[in-house]
Amino acid sequence: MPEEALLHVNNIDVFYGNLQVLWDISLEVRSGEMVAIAGANGAGKSTLLKTISGLMHPARGNIHFNSREITHLNAHEIVNLGISQVPEGRKPFPEMTVLQNLVIGSYSQKARTLRNKNLAKVYEFFPLLKKRKNQLAKTLSGGEQQMLVIGRGLMSNPRILIIDEMSLGLSPIFVRELFGVLHDIKAQGITILLVEQNVWQTLHEADRAYIIETGRLVLSGNARDLCEEEEVRNAYFGA
Amino acid sequence: MLESLSALATPITMGILYGGLYVVIALGLSLVFGVMKVINVAHGDFVILGSYFAYVVLTSKGVDPVLSLGLGIPLFFIMGILIQKYLLYRAFKISTDAALIIAFGISLIIQNAAQLAWTPMSKSLQTGYSFKSFQVGDVYIPLVYLLDFIVAVIVVVVVHQFLQRTYLGQAITAASQDQQTAELMGINPATVYQYAFGIAIALAAVAGVFLGLTFPFNPISGVPFLIIAFGVIILGGLGSMVGTFIGGMIFGLSQSLGGHFWGPTGQLLVPFLMVLVILTIRPQGLFGR
Repeated sequence: MPEEALLHVNNIDVFYGNLQVLWDISLEVRSGEMVAIAGANGAGKSTLLKTISGLMHPARGNIHFNSREITHLNAHEIVNLGISQVPEGRKPFPEMTVLQNLVIGSYSQKARTLRNKNLAKVYEFFPLLKKRKNQLAKTLSGGEQQMLVIGRGLMSNPRILIIDEMSLGLSPIFVRELFGVLHDIKAQGITILLVEQNVWQTLHEADRAYIIETGRLVLSGNARDLCEEEEVRNAYFGA
Repeated sequence: MLESLSALATPITMGILYGGLYVVIALGLSLVFGVMKVINVAHGDFVILGSYFAYVVLTSKGVDPVLSLGLGIPLFFIMGILIQKYLLYRAFKISTDAALIIAFGISLIIQNAAQLAWTPMSKSLQTGYSFKSFQVGDVYIPLVYLLDFIVAVIVVVVVHQFLQRTYLGQAITAASQDQQTAELMGINPATVYQYAFGIAIALAAVAGVFLGLTFPFNPISGVPFLIIAFGVIILGGLGSMVGTFIGGMIFGLSQSLGGHFWGPTGQLLVPFLMVLVILTIRPQGLFGR
């Protein structure tokens, strides 16, 4: 009997006002996987993530998480169900300290009771955050902020961690390190959904991937296999 | 033209002390603006409503205005939550302009209701200590001015601790800095607005009592105090408790010194000139982000 996917997106159309930006998107994420949605800038990746996390709603289609329909739930309700999104542009709360940012990540009722346990885990993944815990978030470097917001995302005790454009503005070496941590997180049983412009690096780290182009899914499958695809190589691994 | 410092000691001390009143008024306004990004144009009127509430309790039951806050604070807190939940938030979901218009409507309603209930004549909160003053060296200070300062310190400390140490307080802080990301933390914006507004109106009740003890008031007194509160926030910078506190002190001080050197005109003009000067040198305010 095929395993029920943790997250099911079924044929969604998404609009900004009257402007359609996503057409008939379907995807699934199974428990324990690292799935990537890759594509060029402006392809609609972030819109897709916002729709999954409830900041936007599809005009058509539906989304199911853990066998429960979440299509029209609001963002703050979805977090409580176990989906945690690390937004595009990092977005730590600038005037709050590292520790305050992490603590606010465990705002939902369930997460509060597990706060200390999760905080210890986050410090294990990112020892730097422990060192800088009283530093104002806005004074951190881009890479440090990325670590902070991933840690903050983990504080809500998610089943699935969604990360939007992690590698933007960061060196490939640093991104490699971050992926190392993501693999550790995945080993602890947390499913990961990534959205990335950096197609090359991402396809070498994820299990499965979807390629999105101007609002439509054009390819999907095993990440390594996609690396070999002619279309992908020509479009994204440029000469 | 240089007066000796001791001659200035009185207006300087008085200005700093009654500046405390402006701090308490501005704090409520700042809280709401921080989360909703809307200026509650009825805030001054809620403060005056607080003054009238204390007046009613004082004249009908003889209860001291400060003590009446035991009832006033919870009452105004609940009123704030209800107004936000059933009026303002619904308008806000349409647009921020709609919320502004509703606030304006509330302002008119309060002003006119107050006129009907208590006539346009000025009132004040007269207590046993209304005319008491104390002496430090050569300086005589009205006791109520010292109370204004003390209550400002208490209120700022309490609100600051609330914002720092409680989940709700941190939720309000987070939503003020980045609402969408706050939602991704599981924070419900409607809840945050309700509590922020409730607290702001409770603060208005406190401000109203001390305003009534310090100055005479009438149904339309809310507007000039709203403008002063706005000036204080701009001066001190948005999002900073310390900024609001210092802003209130500076406002009171410049008002007092302005009045000392240039009479009533100076009293009105100098503080707002200060606001302009600060805005030019540092647009985000002294402690703003």
